[in-house]
Amino acid sequence: MAELEQADANKTEYAFATWKGTKVVNLQTNELPGKGVLQYTILHRFGAFNDDFFYNFMGLDNAQVRLTLDYSPTSWLNVGLGHTGFRKTYDVFAKYRLLRQSKGARKMPVSVTGFSSAYYSAIRVSDGVDRTFGRRMSYVHELVIARKFSQNFSAQIVPTLIHSNLTNRAADNNTQIAVGIAARYKITPMHAITVEYVPVLNPNQYPDLSADPLALPMNVPYSNFTNALSVGIDIETGGHVFQLFVTNARGVAEPFAFTQTDGSWLDGDLHFGFNISRVFTVSN
Amino acid sequence: MSQAQKVSTRSGFVKFFSDAPVEDITAENNQVSSILNLEDGSFAFLVPIKAFQFEKALMQEHFNENYMESGKFPSASFKGSIADYTKIDLSKDAKYTLQFKGTMTVHGESQEITKEVILVVKGGKVSVQAEFLLKCSDYGIEIPTAKKDNISNEISVTVKFEYA
Repeated sequence: MAELEQADANKTEYAFATWKGTKVVNLQTNELPGKGVLQYTILHRFGAFNDDFFYNFMGLDNAQVRLTLDYSPTSWLNVGLGHTGFRKTYDVFAKYRLLRQSKGARKMPVSVTGFSSAYYSAIRVSDGVDRTFGRRMSYVHELVIARKFSQNFSAQIVPTLIHSNLTNRAADNNTQIAVGIAARYKITPMHAITVEYVPVLNPNQYPDLSADPLALPMNVPYSNFTNALSVGIDIETGGHVFQLFVTNARGVAEPFAFTQTDGSWLDGDLHFGFNISRVFTVSN
Repeated sequence: MSQAQKVSTRSGFVKFFSDAPVEDITAENNQVSSILNLEDGSFAFLVPIKAFQFEKALMQEHFNENYMESGKFPSASFKGSIADYTKIDLSKDAKYTLQFKGTMTVHGESQEITKEVILVVKGGKVSVQAEFLLKCSDYGIEIPTAKKDNISNEISVTVKFEYA
């Protein structure tokens, strides 16, 4: 048997299933659906716990919804389309594997995956600002650096760049940088606990508006933005991954979740949410 | 001399097949190593679990992650011998139907098995082929109730080694 085992040392073994899904909650993971796989996801963020929770049927009556459809033409590239109700936003995205964690002949401590997306907000606005095509666009780029530490524990750090061509105020940063962190622990082969935090390094600060509430346009929230923190559970059932979680981020699409979250965990301004994915193998 | 009586391969073939009401699952592995000692009939093979190739990428992931736990148990193995072995003559082409007997280890659990094997000598080369059933429940591989219609407890295994 020892003679047989010698052979295996020269092979490269790649890490797989670092995460169950392609997203943690709002952040991307390093995972891509396999080659030839079509993936459909349905994402919901319910109304806040502290906003007439039972009257609003536990937040369901004012849920934010996002739908995406993506496809992997190769094992290293995934491309897709999405739609989000908030600001009638349409998006296109691409996700691409750059490095894969491996051991054996070729050693690599982490997996690195890039994600880039562009969002077009189609909402009708009559505030006098000419919404040209360019002004309706925003962009997000994530660089997911992930490591599967053991069969059960994985973690990742995600430097993220969010750019909006049009901001609420002239003084706002068009480009914001966030450094997301996330981890998961598998409690059974099919269940995992996940946690995700996305601190923005240069958030847009708003002055105290109690003195002059008319100083800003109507659609600007009268509070400073907070960082998105989410805690959830992943449940995998064959071709589906169900992700159920609690988050302070109401926005479902990346730019809204990362830079326009105004809920706070301390105030109970939290939302129940879920991401559900379904995969179909359409070609080999 | 004794070295010359051992034949081996690093590219042996193993296939398994699960026949369940909802779906059939099959996977193939071409990276199996095996040794056969022609002197005394001792026989062993080692199957790297992660080298099984499935039709669907997600099936392969679930097989490794949820069922075989290949991070913890990277390989399956058999160690034993061909029962009632008498030295075979390599100069004569022939086909022998024999039994092999020994310890099968899958998913970290070992079972004693005895199965049929066909040994073929052709042009001085030896090859073996066997088809047998293994039960997931014998090797501590749990199939959740919700997946009973997708994955059979009885797995049909085919092995084919052509020795050099």
